[in-house]
Amino acid sequence: MRFLLYVSILIGASACSSAYKHAQQTSLPSDCITSLQPHFSRALYSTQVDVVGKHLSGLLIIKAMPDSSTRLLFANEAGFKFFDFGFKGKEFTVYHIIDQMNRKAVIKTLRKDFALLLMQPVVPYKSHGMLLEGENYHVFSEGKDHYYYITDADCSRIVRMERGSKRKKVSTIFSTADDRNIPDSIRIQHHNFDFTITLKRLQDVVE
Amino acid sequence: MRKLFLLVAILLNSNLVLQAQYAGYTAVADLNAFKSKFAAASQNTHSIKSDFVQEKNLSLLSDKIVSKGKFWFKKENSVRMEYTTPFQYLMIINGTNVYIRDNQKENKISTRSNKLFQQINKVMVDCVKGGALDSKDFSSRVFQSGTAYLAELTPVDKNLKTLFSTINMIIDKKDFSVTRIEMHEPSGDNTIIQFHNRELNTNIPDALFVIR
Repeated sequence: MRFLLYVSILIGASACSSAYKHAQQTSLPSDCITSLQPHFSRALYSTQVDVVGKHLSGLLIIKAMPDSSTRLLFANEAGFKFFDFGFKGKEFTVYHIIDQMNRKAVIKTLRKDFALLLMQPVVPYKSHGMLLEGENYHVFSEGKDHYYYITDADCSRIVRMERGSKRKKVSTIFSTADDRNIPDSIRIQHHNFDFTITLKRLQDVVE
Repeated sequence: MRKLFLLVAILLNSNLVLQAQYAGYTAVADLNAFKSKFAAASQNTHSIKSDFVQEKNLSLLSDKIVSKGKFWFKKENSVRMEYTTPFQYLMIINGTNVYIRDNQKENKISTRSNKLFQQINKVMVDCVKGGALDSKDFSSRVFQSGTAYLAELTPVDKNLKTLFSTINMIIDKKDFSVTRIEMHEPSGDNTIIQFHNRELNTNIPDALFVIR
């Protein structure tokens, strides 16, 4: 697991050139994006992590808790836990993380990627709209971080999610879903270094 | 007199705590006799073939992940665990080498270069072989019910203490084989592996443990 250390070194490396340069400001219905928010009551995913040529697999469980927080726990197939994170509103809690991953840059990157996926930055009436190459961008800002939710014209689905700055794209999430509230497959792709997380939903039985 | 009364009260109380720790189990008085019987049975077990059900209990999430598969062990140090439901995952331990194949990729790890893997690997093999009871990495206590023994292993090693609070092995009284392994973590979570349809000393091809 030494390669997990490389992540902390590589994160923060150079990013792409301006991705949103030709975007036009536009007005988009504010209830569009809130109606597309996922509801992860409980979902289990077979998970593959590929980072700088190294590979790690395991299981990610995403669960909505009674206190309205959402927990994400990643363990390997044999049960060895890598991390356990909690999101509640704007609060983020690290309940557990192994020493090899316990680096500020690693946690920050994972927090922002999962925040994008859970649509945690989405606050009603706080977005602004952009139009770029025929697609609608619903943009939410948290300081210098921008979270982009790209929908089709009639707001029937989220085409993809992106995060980065005002100019640069750091990561993109592609997902497919039978049930639009819980994605079946998810791919989190980084653009500034070789880092991909692939999730495929498992239909396990919980008694 | 008062001190004596206090001492007796403490001893009685600690004995009650010990007895009550595992429902249906009482402490084994002659630990050496148990260990020698268990060691003799382990000595005569050359291979194990079994189905298994693994339950990962996540206490804080009030949730569990259940997986199933097939298990093979062959003396001295070969283990193959093949998870089949709800995901596919293969792990082979052959001496100091570990081979892992998930849905997408395969990975070979030499436990010599990875201390964490080395320790987890040793715990797994020692539990199956029965050597964990004599391991310097653990202190042990043994309890018994009508049909089974419960060997409670508490890590002494600093690194193992971060991974496990205790490891319990449930051992069948009839043949002294391990029917269940419970790995309890300091966080309150645990991983329980229950073995079913056990076959001892059947012919298992070496090819199952080959790491290419």
